[in-house]
Amino acid sequence: MRPLLSIKDLYVRVAGREVLKGINLELLPGEVHAIMGPNGSGKSTLSQVLAGRESYEVTGGQVLFDGKDLLALPAEERAAAGVFMAFQYPVEIPGVGNLHFLRTALNAQRRGRGLEELDAMDFMQLAREKSKLVQLDQAFMQRSVNEGFSGGEKKRNEIFQMAVLEPKLAILDETDSGLDIDALRVVAGGINALRSTERSMLVITHYQRLLDYVVPDKVSVLAGGRIVKTGGRELAKELEQKGYAWLGEAARAVEARA
Amino acid sequence: MTETGLRHYLELTERFQAERSASAPEWLRAFRREGTEQLARQGFPTSKHEEWKYTQVGPLVSQAFAPVRTVHEADVQEAVARHALPGPGPRLVFVDGWFVRELSLLGGVPAGLTVRSLREALPEEGEALTEVLGRRGRAEESPFTALNAALLEEGALVRVAPGTVCAEPVQLLFLTLERRETPVLSSPRVLVMAGESSELTLVESYGAVGPGVSFTNAVTEAVLGAGAHLTHLKVQAEAETAYHVGGLHVEQGRDSRFASHLVSLGGALARNEVHTVFAAEGGECTLHGLYVGHGSQHLDHYTRLDHAHPRCSSSELYKGVLDDKARGTFHGRVLVRPDAQHTDARQSNRNLLLSEGAMADARPQMEILADDVKCSHGATVGRLDEQALFYLRARGIPRAEAERLLTHAFASEVVGAVPLAALRDQVETLLALKLPGAGEIRV
Repeated sequence: MRPLLSIKDLYVRVAGREVLKGINLELLPGEVHAIMGPNGSGKSTLSQVLAGRESYEVTGGQVLFDGKDLLALPAEERAAAGVFMAFQYPVEIPGVGNLHFLRTALNAQRRGRGLEELDAMDFMQLAREKSKLVQLDQAFMQRSVNEGFSGGEKKRNEIFQMAVLEPKLAILDETDSGLDIDALRVVAGGINALRSTERSMLVITHYQRLLDYVVPDKVSVLAGGRIVKTGGRELAKELEQKGYAWLGEAARAVEARA
Repeated sequence: MTETGLRHYLELTERFQAERSASAPEWLRAFRREGTEQLARQGFPTSKHEEWKYTQVGPLVSQAFAPVRTVHEADVQEAVARHALPGPGPRLVFVDGWFVRELSLLGGVPAGLTVRSLREALPEEGEALTEVLGRRGRAEESPFTALNAALLEEGALVRVAPGTVCAEPVQLLFLTLERRETPVLSSPRVLVMAGESSELTLVESYGAVGPGVSFTNAVTEAVLGAGAHLTHLKVQAEAETAYHVGGLHVEQGRDSRFASHLVSLGGALARNEVHTVFAAEGGECTLHGLYVGHGSQHLDHYTRLDHAHPRCSSSELYKGVLDDKARGTFHGRVLVRPDAQHTDARQSNRNLLLSEGAMADARPQMEILADDVKCSHGATVGRLDEQALFYLRARGIPRAEAERLLTHAFASEVVGAVPLAALRDQVETLLALKLPGAGEIRV
């Protein structure tokens, strides 16, 4: 099977500092791959680069998405091609209605794919149906994007957007951060409902807590800008017990090879 | 240049007054003469003038603008339709400053409300008009107010009897014709007398029938009786080759409520002034403004809010969106006098620059001479939020569309507060045409 996402020897610099130092990763269609790692390991940089943040400078390597050169596309075209990133810190946008924003986004993507745009009525119906996945109240959808939302509401809003936009690749950037256990269950339930053979997910997290609910097919550990270990779901448990220090040896081994 | 310009305007006002001396009563002749004298005394402002620091009036003064008695053709209808509010009216339409009865809607005026052309009202109302005429729009305070006084003839009289609540807005529509021969000057004067406990919404719309060089020098004066509610909405959408100077002067009685919503879109140079005075306790005043400039437009705003009495509250918000090489200026003065205890005054000016060449001058100013007050002010000049832009783009919205969405969101705080849905829709349409990437907008 051809991988949906293929990252080859990716080097990235942020504000003059090399943060990713040769990432290699393949994601098959339908696969859920968790990326774990300590703070400062480069997890968020990886998701930002994949989503198309321009302030991150790619200094080497390649990313193929569905066979296309992902790094050559601006953020909006990546989204239209089927890449979705759930933000760690969703942005508040006063004055832009949540639903208006999402319909504009969906229709921009549909135009990009040569599909007909949804009218307001059809869109409302779609939004109503998808909002149930994350138990997002109708009142939230009429408010400005993320404005005055609690941390949990913002994360639910991210998953709601993912449900409406139906991406091929979802990058969940620390979606579990700042959630209490009830909110975590709701968000994880939404994510699980969106798992399918047509959709791959890159689940980026510091803690394995989320992985109790969203069970990954694979787990990789990122440390010092490199993937130092890849395994099955049991790797997450092992990390939970032994802590990231346990990887010190493996990380150093990679360092020595470079 | 300014001196030659001044001579032109002085001669113009003298000629105008001489032509009308036989028909005008003494008080009116004196009023106009005072205008000329004040104009001669003050001259036109230069950038050394504190209140005109950011705006050069040279191009406006150096051209031989003059009043023109208009013969208008059928194409005015289209512009009237574009700017007119739906509904029964009343609506007065002026073309190049002249009242046009055939284009106006005068039926269905409720009892207690008077809406009429000032030129028609002058002989009948006589000197009684000075109860409001010249009361707050004083010739000695501005050469432009003086020029308007010197050429006083046309405009509107809007009077609401005590206790009368007007359900429908009154609209005054001022249109300028496209012309090439004489650059036309119009000097409308609007007088509003809002009786005790009356309620009224007044809309002043300024539009153009086509492009052309014109100069509108408008003065509106309003006096609110105790407990009166007046909402004043002004949409300035003249041609981008036009010049516009407008002064709104308001006196508020006890417990009265006044709101001004200004949308300034047109004009090569447009200056809008709002002066309000609390003349008794307990008043409330809201001043909202939105200016959107592109090309080389210069949009200037000067407001002066006088808290002369205790227990009044005011809230002011002006926002500017500036693209290309446009310049927007805001100078807002709030004066809290020594007696004005328990004043609540808030003032804010926020500007969004869409290009490297655009410019905004923000000058909020509070002079607080009382000690038991709540006052705050602030001003910002910034660009579109990169985080928000990226968020929208990461969801698939192309950059240009994302910029438009955020710009529109910035403006919507002021537009959304316009308390008349039909006018809000009109402003939305004008904005959609004006904001960058117009024509592709999808709502």
